[in-house]
Amino acid sequence: MVNENLVKNVVKEPYKYGFVTDIETEKIAKGLNEDIIRLISQKKEEPKFLLDFRLKAFKKWQKMKEPDWAGLGYKQIDYQDIIYYSAPKQKEKISSLDEVDPKLLETFDKLGIPLTEQKKLTNVAVDAVFDSVSIATTFREELAEHGVIFCSISEAVKNHSDLIEKYLGTVVPASDNYFAALNSAVFSDGSFVYIPKGVTCPMDLSSYFRINSGDSGQFERTLIIAEESSSVSYLEGCTAPMFDTNTLHAAVVELIALDHASIKYSTVQNWYAGDEEGIGGIFNFVTKRGKCLGKRSKISWSQVETGSAITWKYPSCLLLGEESVGEFYSVALTNNLQQADTGTKMIHIGPKTKSTIVSKGISAGNSINSYRGLVKMGTKATGSRNYSQCDSMLIGDQASANTFPYIKSQQPNSEIEHEASTCRISEDQLFYLQSRGIEFEEAVSMMVSGFCRDVFNQLPMEFAAEADKLLALKLEGSVG
Amino acid sequence: MEIIEKIKTNKSIDNLTEIQKICLDKLQASPLPNPKSEQWRLSNKSKFSNFLNYSVNEKKSKFDTPFPNTSQSTIRLVIGDNCQINFIEENYSIKQLSEDKLVKYIKEQISCFDKNENWSDLLNLSLNCTKNILGLKINGSEIPPIEIFSHASINSLNAKTLVIFLEKNCNIDLLQVNLGKDNSSLSQSTFVCLEENSSVNHGVVSYGENKSNLLNSLNVIQQNNSEYNLGSLHFKFNYARFEIRIKQSKGNAKTNIKGMQITKKDEQISTFTKIDFHGPNGFLDQINKSLADDKSHAIFEGSIIVPKIAQKTDASQLSRNLLLSNLAQIDTKPQLEIIADDVKCKHGATISQLNEEELFYMRTRGITLTEASKLQLSSYFQEIISFIPVSKDRWDLLDKLLNEN
Repeated sequence: MVNENLVKNVVKEPYKYGFVTDIETEKIAKGLNEDIIRLISQKKEEPKFLLDFRLKAFKKWQKMKEPDWAGLGYKQIDYQDIIYYSAPKQKEKISSLDEVDPKLLETFDKLGIPLTEQKKLTNVAVDAVFDSVSIATTFREELAEHGVIFCSISEAVKNHSDLIEKYLGTVVPASDNYFAALNSAVFSDGSFVYIPKGVTCPMDLSSYFRINSGDSGQFERTLIIAEESSSVSYLEGCTAPMFDTNTLHAAVVELIALDHASIKYSTVQNWYAGDEEGIGGIFNFVTKRGKCLGKRSKISWSQVETGSAITWKYPSCLLLGEESVGEFYSVALTNNLQQADTGTKMIHIGPKTKSTIVSKGISAGNSINSYRGLVKMGTKATGSRNYSQCDSMLIGDQASANTFPYIKSQQPNSEIEHEASTCRISEDQLFYLQSRGIEFEEAVSMMVSGFCRDVFNQLPMEFAAEADKLLALKLEGSVG
Repeated sequence: MEIIEKIKTNKSIDNLTEIQKICLDKLQASPLPNPKSEQWRLSNKSKFSNFLNYSVNEKKSKFDTPFPNTSQSTIRLVIGDNCQINFIEENYSIKQLSEDKLVKYIKEQISCFDKNENWSDLLNLSLNCTKNILGLKINGSEIPPIEIFSHASINSLNAKTLVIFLEKNCNIDLLQVNLGKDNSSLSQSTFVCLEENSSVNHGVVSYGENKSNLLNSLNVIQQNNSEYNLGSLHFKFNYARFEIRIKQSKGNAKTNIKGMQITKKDEQISTFTKIDFHGPNGFLDQINKSLADDKSHAIFEGSIIVPKIAQKTDASQLSRNLLLSNLAQIDTKPQLEIIADDVKCKHGATISQLNEEELFYMRTRGITLTEASKLQLSSYFQEIISFIPVSKDRWDLLDKLLNEN
């Protein structure tokens, strides 16, 4: 029998990213209306097409209803009580990292993000987003040598407006869903990546999202375009301070892969999840979608979801190109009163398309962890295949693990396989490990790590180790 | 609202019964199921409104059973026949439930109805006068197989209700046959209550004729140590829904379900199952097969609910589907909702067409493509058909399926 007391006595690791940076910020008034949207657009000196895009999205959002099908029980969000633009005050133009407010650099330093020169050696280019704006992007010159554009989306709007106008909203249209419409209306910053034809991005690209103020939401937008025969690996991380109030995070990520291009998008989401009583925490409503437009293109999503009070996230792939490939690898861990409703959508449109889904859910405490996915074979998806595997692990008898796979096929010459299972930490395995002198906590953490291995293997090296550690920390004190 | 008016002005019923009144009241609040609800989302709206379109006045029609009763020992009943049932033998007794008990039981059931989930039962009980409700109380052992028939008459919407109480330590083989006639709609609701240590091998075979429709709802409550085995087969309906709700009220019970639905032309047949474990040590083994051809649509939605109390539950659910045409479609959604941690639960789903390698193998051995496909289909069907309690010499279901498909 798992010793409950022993487990509960394990010292809990506090949320170590929960500090607030004391910095002067520029905020606009609370509330959401056309004037606010115009103001955001004006502050960012945007061209007319983008303002029109925002206003159109806002009109659509006003007519939409907040979705309730996931059955997530969270308190009503007052959209008029949110600040939609908040940015740290700094000099007008930053030409080098030396000009960034040292406090900001210190913040990212504390978070372990390599912005400063000596840490640049890690060979990962970073775009750091603080509240509503991008603070800095590293390795830009090196990347530019290869023709890779990696900058904040605000800069891209100014410098590469043709690309933005061509691709923005083509994967996730403004009317896609309630939160995507909201994001399209008020998005403040995010990252933009363009990989030219035939280029394999020389280093991993990464963006780091930090929410610092408690009363403002974060609405970032990411757009990645991989031209023919190019490839890129993109990492995303996020943290926020601990506040008693809930903060809204509604992001949109759009990926476009042309012929033979490949995009790997990895996320470690560690937003503040609220305390044990469920007070505070981030409401994370994210729309992520990739379009495999070209032949033999590939989009791979891998995610480790450990934070947020509410997670509502379904990274999807539209497989249009012949023989295109979509992948989704996910570990979602919920503890205390967290609720995660996450999964994927694999829409097979083109012939001979393939998709793989591996989802691992771990629920502890009083949390609810659901996998919700859709696999659809369209009428033209001849010779297409899908394989899905969804495993859940329950820790304690108060947590809930749900699996809701929707499978739809209109193509007889295609194959869909789905399997799901639920288990708990096996007492036999635990006993075996303990009898070999392995500490209880370590044994649990080893077993959880083994359970998630299929997914961790897909993460880039830097993330895999971090994810493993993160999971072990999050689980401390919850087994029993 | 139209259906409620139709029931209220039904000339063949003199007075509405108490149950009809209660159900009509409930239906008044939701005259039609919510098309956005998970249970009704995929239901074809025009086919469903066609289901409700027929006259609710019952017409007398001749009824022929699909196979002769060759065995003297088999008990054969037709719902609506109005004959008094009272079989008392040395080892067993089959009695008709008294009206009071029947009304009391149905009222208890109605009190737990959900307006979307049990909409089919509400409609059934609103339509039904006493003569089309058959209530049986069975006890004893070595009970002969029981066959119960329901049918709808041409150009009408008829409802039939069956309530069966199996007392302690009782084992039976029960075959329920629902027959649809040309241009007809049948609403069949069945309530089965298994007491401790009882077991039933339940077969449900539903098939229709041209443009017949069916709403078939099955509600089962299992007590401790009971075993419920269900084999079901639905085919040849323009529109059919089979709703299975099983509740293991105290756990320690066993449920085996093997179901199949076959759709052709532009038919739509759907199966919804909800298995609720309300106690520890429950067991479920479920397989649902669909075959969709031409422009048809087959749907399966199954949910397994394991609350905290249901520790040591062992449940598995498998949905296997064959899609044989470019214009047909299959939707499947197996679901798990689990809170208890010491459980073994799994589900799986596959959609594909006939195995090409197997077909090729058979053809290299001189078997024609048609024959080879038939052989494959027969092995696909056989797993389910062998689970339905009807002997081959009386009714060869496999033969019937292969010849009609």
